[in-house]
Amino acid sequence: MKYGDKIIRMEGVIVEVHDGSVAIDLKGRLGYLKIPMRMLITDYPLLVGQEVAWNMSFVEQLGPEPNEKYISNLDIEKRRQEEMRAQNQKNKEV
Amino acid sequence: MSITAETAKEHANDPAVLCCRAEAGITIGAENLEDPAIFDDLVDSGLLNLDGCLTIGQVLGATLTKTCDSLAAITADVVDGVKAAPAVTAPAAEEPAVPAEVPAPAVSAASNGGVLKIHIGKGEDIDIELPLGIAGGSTAVPAAAQAAVTAAAEVDQEPVVVRSLTRKHFNITEVKRGPETKIEGSTLYIREGIEAECVNDQELVTDLKLEIIAPENYHTYSETIMDIQPIAAKEGDDELGSGVTRVLDGVVVMVTGTDANGVQIGEFGSSEGYLDENIMWGRPGCPEKGEIFIKTQVTIKEGTNMERPGPLAAHTATDIITQEIREVIKQLDESMVTDTETFDQVRRPGKKKIVIVKEIMGQGAMHDNLILPVEPVGILGGKPNVDLGNVPVSVSPLEVLDGCIHALTCIGPASKEMSRHYWREPLVLEALHDEEVDLCGVIFVGSPQINAEKFYVSKRVGMMVEMLGVDGAFVTTEGFGNNHIDFASHHEQIGMRGIPVVGMSFCAVQGALVVGNKYMTAMVDNNKSESGIENEVLGCNTLCHEDAIRALAMLKSEMGGEDVKTSEKKWNPNVKSTNVELVSNVTGKPVELVENEQSLPMSQKRKEKYD
Repeated sequence: MKYGDKIIRMEGVIVEVHDGSVAIDLKGRLGYLKIPMRMLITDYPLLVGQEVAWNMSFVEQLGPEPNEKYISNLDIEKRRQEEMRAQNQKNKEV
Repeated sequence: MSITAETAKEHANDPAVLCCRAEAGITIGAENLEDPAIFDDLVDSGLLNLDGCLTIGQVLGATLTKTCDSLAAITADVVDGVKAAPAVTAPAAEEPAVPAEVPAPAVSAASNGGVLKIHIGKGEDIDIELPLGIAGGSTAVPAAAQAAVTAAAEVDQEPVVVRSLTRKHFNITEVKRGPETKIEGSTLYIREGIEAECVNDQELVTDLKLEIIAPENYHTYSETIMDIQPIAAKEGDDELGSGVTRVLDGVVVMVTGTDANGVQIGEFGSSEGYLDENIMWGRPGCPEKGEIFIKTQVTIKEGTNMERPGPLAAHTATDIITQEIREVIKQLDESMVTDTETFDQVRRPGKKKIVIVKEIMGQGAMHDNLILPVEPVGILGGKPNVDLGNVPVSVSPLEVLDGCIHALTCIGPASKEMSRHYWREPLVLEALHDEEVDLCGVIFVGSPQINAEKFYVSKRVGMMVEMLGVDGAFVTTEGFGNNHIDFASHHEQIGMRGIPVVGMSFCAVQGALVVGNKYMTAMVDNNKSESGIENEVLGCNTLCHEDAIRALAMLKSEMGGEDVKTSEKKWNPNVKSTNVELVSNVTGKPVELVENEQSLPMSQKRKEKYD
């Protein structure tokens, strides 16, 4: 990576707390991050609205070519999710 | 920052660098010198040049002849009265006749990453910020040579067999659907329509599809693999961990699932995709090539994929099928047994007593395990370690091998220890069969989410290990993340009691440890991936036989009073290969290394991009 050594302190706010994950809004409309519990270091019980900080850098592309494997997985997943949502909706109506 | 006389003594052979501006004519003392721990980063960033630099041992007490600025390396031309360089202690040559053990590659734990701020007030008021030794995920070099490990003082006493476990194997070559669940010859039939019962049993489960995947169908798309489980049942009234267990060979249960909207259960670093590209065959926790998969695809209520009841419901629904097969296995005729294996739990009084501490996930949903179900890898009777408060639970090595852990974890696929992993746990097997050590048991400890709870359970581990009075301990963990905080704490709790401890974890590049302490010196990295990352291939970076051998060799060395060399600053895969070579040289047995993701079919493009 070209800029891998540039570390920036980022801050965010916890916006969702689940049993297995938390979601974080990056302050300054810079994005949204959802991470499993084990990637979060906690000193206190987790609550929505708590502020968090971490060091990170910018995301860089590794190359111009998309990876076929991931495209295929995404396509299948998207198709399945649509089917399942439709089915789920139908089940609810019945 | 200047250093103390004690630090100076510890670092006598490290470079001598001034910590602050010093005038000509002063006598150099420890208070004038900078802590060598930070030099690597300074050299990397070009702020420090150590060419021709004398050692701390050489310059202490010498007179500075020239005024030097801070962070100046002390070279021979600026000091008077340098002491002669101490003879470098060359590593003792290996004594070929002595059966020696060599420590295996290790992962260093550097101090917690922080920032060193230097403020120079004079002149232009410059502020410098330097990274202070980032957390090390690097690998350690072995001590070059070792004395024989088995101390002469050990008294030879007869080994004692505490209990035995027999595994009776039944071979299955075909799995079909039929009107009832039964086994005929080597064909397993699963009752048609059993799916409906699984769905009805669990409120959260809305659908369950059962697929039978024979080897010719390995190139099939699958949702995230949540678990791989052996199909086994206890015989008669036998309890888990002793007596007789009947197990089916050639077939495994595979749990997969999504929520009703199609979102994967455990939506992070999922291993969904084509099965043959996503499974590292033959890992302790994975299927073997050629085995048939009984794969359930469980659909749970939308939005419950991240909540604790969700994954548990998927596992419970699947277990209804497994339980029905178990009932059939119990009735099978003795004549159908194709192979019998016996595991003896042997205590070896007089040998070095060791314990294995296995840290398991306990942070919440997808980070949970059922401990000690009634049937091997069953559901009934098992207690979730999250509900137990993640406190240490002691089990016998045979209970581990008999499926006392039903793994609900759905964390990163490459480092996840699946239920089958415990069934074939390499470290337990190695330690149990090693005649030079006395394995007294296995301690499972969960990894809670909050730091205060992590230290609470870790202190209990320390107390438990103290009471056991062991000579050495292993600490292992699966995956990486905040569980490395308790992993480090377990080392501290055990190490501060003067007990040698060897750690095992996936670290390499991506799983670099976030914390460390002075007891984390002997570490074995479970990484197998080419680039040291979580490569999304099921089981790739889990503890294997080769890691167990290295860890055992390392612990024996430590218990024998040998030092394990400090790790390199950055992860270096060559350290492992060097150590493996050293181990096989002295034991006379080649260590067979397992393959990694490079052996799987993948497009040329992926090869270029990914590894």
